[in-house]
Amino acid sequence: MAELANLARGAGDARARPFIRRDMLIAILFVLPGLALAILFKLVPLVRTIWLSLQETRGFEDPTFAGLANYRAMVADPAVADSFRNALIAFATLPIWIVLPLVLAFLLFQKTPGWKFFRAAFFLPYMIAPIVVGIMFRQILAPDGPLNAVLRAIGLAPLAIEWLNGPTSALLALTAVALWSFFGLGVLTYLSGLSTVSEEVVEAAKLDGAGFWQLLFHIIMPLLKSVIGYWAVLCTSGILIWMFPLIYALTKGGPGTATVLPEFLVFTTTFQFMDRGKGAAIGMALFVFVAIVSAFVVRRMYVEGSKPR
Amino acid sequence: MKPTPFGNGRSGRSVRGMLAGLAFASMTALGGQAALAQDVTTIRVLNWEPGGADYWKALVAEFEKQNPTIKVELETVPFDRYPEVQGPYITTKSGPDVMENNAGLELFDRRRAYEQLPPEVLEAGKDLITYSGGCLNFDTSQACYGLPFGYQGNVMYYNKKVLTEAGLDAANPPKTWDEMNAACEKVKAAGKTCLAIGLSGIFPAYWNFPEVARNYLTEDDMRAMLAGKMPWTDPKMVNVLKGLASITEKGWTNSSAPSITMLPDGADIFQSGNAAFAGTIISDAANWAAFGKILGDENLGAMRWPTIVADAPLAGSFSGIESSVFGVSAWSDKKDAAFQFVKFMAGKENAELLTKVAGGISLNKNVDPSILPKSEALTQILEIIKKPTLHAGVLLSGQEADALARGWQEVSLGRLSIEDWTARMQTALEQSPSKRQ
Repeated sequence: MAELANLARGAGDARARPFIRRDMLIAILFVLPGLALAILFKLVPLVRTIWLSLQETRGFEDPTFAGLANYRAMVADPAVADSFRNALIAFATLPIWIVLPLVLAFLLFQKTPGWKFFRAAFFLPYMIAPIVVGIMFRQILAPDGPLNAVLRAIGLAPLAIEWLNGPTSALLALTAVALWSFFGLGVLTYLSGLSTVSEEVVEAAKLDGAGFWQLLFHIIMPLLKSVIGYWAVLCTSGILIWMFPLIYALTKGGPGTATVLPEFLVFTTTFQFMDRGKGAAIGMALFVFVAIVSAFVVRRMYVEGSKPR
Repeated sequence: MKPTPFGNGRSGRSVRGMLAGLAFASMTALGGQAALAQDVTTIRVLNWEPGGADYWKALVAEFEKQNPTIKVELETVPFDRYPEVQGPYITTKSGPDVMENNAGLELFDRRRAYEQLPPEVLEAGKDLITYSGGCLNFDTSQACYGLPFGYQGNVMYYNKKVLTEAGLDAANPPKTWDEMNAACEKVKAAGKTCLAIGLSGIFPAYWNFPEVARNYLTEDDMRAMLAGKMPWTDPKMVNVLKGLASITEKGWTNSSAPSITMLPDGADIFQSGNAAFAGTIISDAANWAAFGKILGDENLGAMRWPTIVADAPLAGSFSGIESSVFGVSAWSDKKDAAFQFVKFMAGKENAELLTKVAGGISLNKNVDPSILPKSEALTQILEIIKKPTLHAGVLLSGQEADALARGWQEVSLGRLSIEDWTARMQTALEQSPSKRQ
């Protein structure tokens, strides 16, 4: 009888068990809005861009299907190759983007004289709109601008070059201006990471005779690996896809194509040349390029982050 | 039955009366607002404020005075950023009701974004010296998409004070390329820039290219350019590129030229009194009025660009074009009001405002010449524009204009040969959607 009763109860439970568990349903309900937004604002535009990159667009006339013609035109266009080469050169400066704010943040953390002032001062450039920064530095970097005037005044006349006229100097100047504009956020990010570092650890290392650089490289950097990884991802996207306003205001991609980065080329191809199909194809190439580079950096971040301290 | 609070007695009646009064007043007010909203149509006008802020303020006030049922909302964008703002509007088929555009190919390229002008609006074009730049292939018998209001084109301004300081005769500025070279040597020896110029953006294509092109091209050549049938490998076109290259190769220009734009940077060099010459335009921004205000009218002169080939058919002509045109966007749901604005732009009242407030040169034939401001540079300009020809700059596609500027930058820095520049220009022509055969 007892067995029968258990069976009956079991059958009753099976009937009462919902198709989806309540906690699972709540989880799905929480995820759904985010998922919907991601599909609407990420996936749909991406699919539309892929589709547009396969179309031939003549000015503002209706597009026609062109297969891979835009990708072939993109590969044959030397300006596209130039822009990706420029992106790689700019990306090669990533170590400076990572280390410079860290050094400054560590100086602030150690309460170096004037640290309160510098903490505010370092963050100030980040609060200036990039377009304004570009206009500002166009004047500062002019051949007869303030930077060269200072260099000449302090006896460094050979360094007073035409910053925005040389192909390498223009790209490096652009990258340096971007770094100037962005590094304050890095200092702030590192400071928040440093606030989790125990003062005893730093004091103990000092007692053992560690200097500033030893402390930085052997104590602080290993402790901040995950923060450094996070900042590296931000910088990667900053260099590769957030430089547009600076390029626009500072060099317009010139001289020649010396400071054209792929994102700038997407814009000019689409809106100045009215070639939306090719613009979309370059945009897709940039997307793949950034995805590969970011995936590498993110993977490093997770690997380092998951290692036991 | 339970009585309602306001159901009985004198107080109830008075409250009911008060509520009814309030309801009536509210309905009247709402009705009035609705009527007002229906009566006034607001149109949005995308523009780069040619002629300056004061002129546009006066223009809008006059239009609204004449058309009390239409309100104008301006969306003003700097000239060199205009394509980047307009492009997304056209791509998404949304945005302003009226849009400004350079006449010629730039407008033809975007014609799908514009409504064809109906005959009653085109009627206003008959009072203009020309309005062909708003019509397909510069032909008024074909579809027209915009009406102009001012006359535009290129001249070279000179600073008499700088010329005198350099030991030159300010009353006789250089007329040929060789004379210009000799003058530049003296200006440079005096420690000033000879020709203020910026090679970034669209300015080389619009402000410099046509003035060199006039030395080698005929009007038929220019029409062939428009149709995409004039290759850049043609010796005439190569000569134009060589002419442009010689400007920087001869050292006439400021050293920052490859990395700055003519507006504002190049114009600033001239306005600051540090340069002898500047090649800009007759109306709108960076014109005789703006320069005269800063340098002093007595120090400002205007001349045709020096000739390279003195006996070329168009060497003594003026590269003229309707300054810009205004058309109605294809997606506008307020087309009647928008057409009314376009018509007003071409009208006499606006022409007089342009002359009086902005110092511009109107295309309207009915403007009283006596209201023109007194300026020697303006008098010289009015003489120069008497012999107009096509403006080769507005015949370039976006790709060509971009390749021209970037190529010139690299040529001036010694990093690109004329042959390679020519090849790039030809590629740009072949990649131009508007010029594909």
